Amino acid sequence: MSTEIESLAVPLLKGSLPSAITDQPAVLLIYLLLLLIVGSALAGIVLRNLVFAIAAFSVTMAAVALLYLMVAPFLLFAVQLLVFTTVSAGLLLGLLRRTSGTAPAPDSPFSPELIAGVAVGTALLALVGVVVSATNWPVRISGGTNQGLGGSLANQYVVAVAVVVVMLASAALGTALLTSQRLARRFSR
Amino acid sequence: MKAGLSLMLVASAALLTIGALGLVVKRNVVVMLIGSQLMLTAAGLAFVAFARFGLGAANANNGAAVALFAGFAGAGGLAIGVAMAAVVYREHDTFLNDEYESVAD
Repeated sequence: MSTEIESLAVPLLKGSLPSAITDQPAVLLIYLLLLLIVGSALAGIVLRNLVFAIAAFSVTMAAVALLYLMVAPFLLFAVQLLVFTTVSAGLLLGLLRRTSGTAPAPDSPFSPELIAGVAVGTALLALVGVVVSATNWPVRISGGTNQGLGGSLANQYVVAVAVVVVMLASAALGTALLTSQRLARRFSR
Repeated sequence: MKAGLSLMLVASAALLTIGALGLVVKRNVVVMLIGSQLMLTAAGLAFVAFARFGLGAANANNGAAVALFAGFAGAGGLAIGVAMAAVVYREHDTFLNDEYESVAD
């Protein structure tokens, strides 16, 4: 009986856990990113100025995205950076702007501040594009799996993706209803 | 020096603790929302760590997929939370939840 159990257990113990990353520049970068993540998260909680707190939170999310670039599929990095970081920061800053946390934008759609901001943003985007296209990212060195997540989502997780779509649509509808001034006036009567 | 599962899990635990601290201790609704997002991010980080360095590496896409869904759930929750905070701010002119106790009166 015992030999039978052992023979059943052997296949579970075959092979070994995936090896840790030992490439020193990649390890150093991971340590720095983790320190940045924890430090900026702490700053986001501790800072009293809400704009600075939201900025620190955005740094946390962006650093998590960079960490995903090293240890996770590329799609997760892209979604974390382009969707989760921007949506979270945008929603929180939008909340402040709708209330009293930040000053409203100037009335003129082409104010000098807006033009300067667009120019700086475009320059930063171009810089990021050049860096991304010219850099040999360590995800290829460290052996991260960067293939198949899209296929998994399209085949294995179809129901989950559909649920997420319904959930996000419900959240968008609920947000629009909650923040609608007309509905608020109707309920206040 | 190496980076493996333990390091990632320690960072995830630290992030989860900081988020819980912000959610429980702070009185500001915006900081509480940030705390809830940090906790969800920590959960996603743990899933990715197990998928990359742990037993989940047999099918590494599963961990990334769960992290993706957790992020989307967090984004939806944050949208609702922000809308609720805006509605309550409209009534009370503050983000400090101590001032909201008058709602029950």
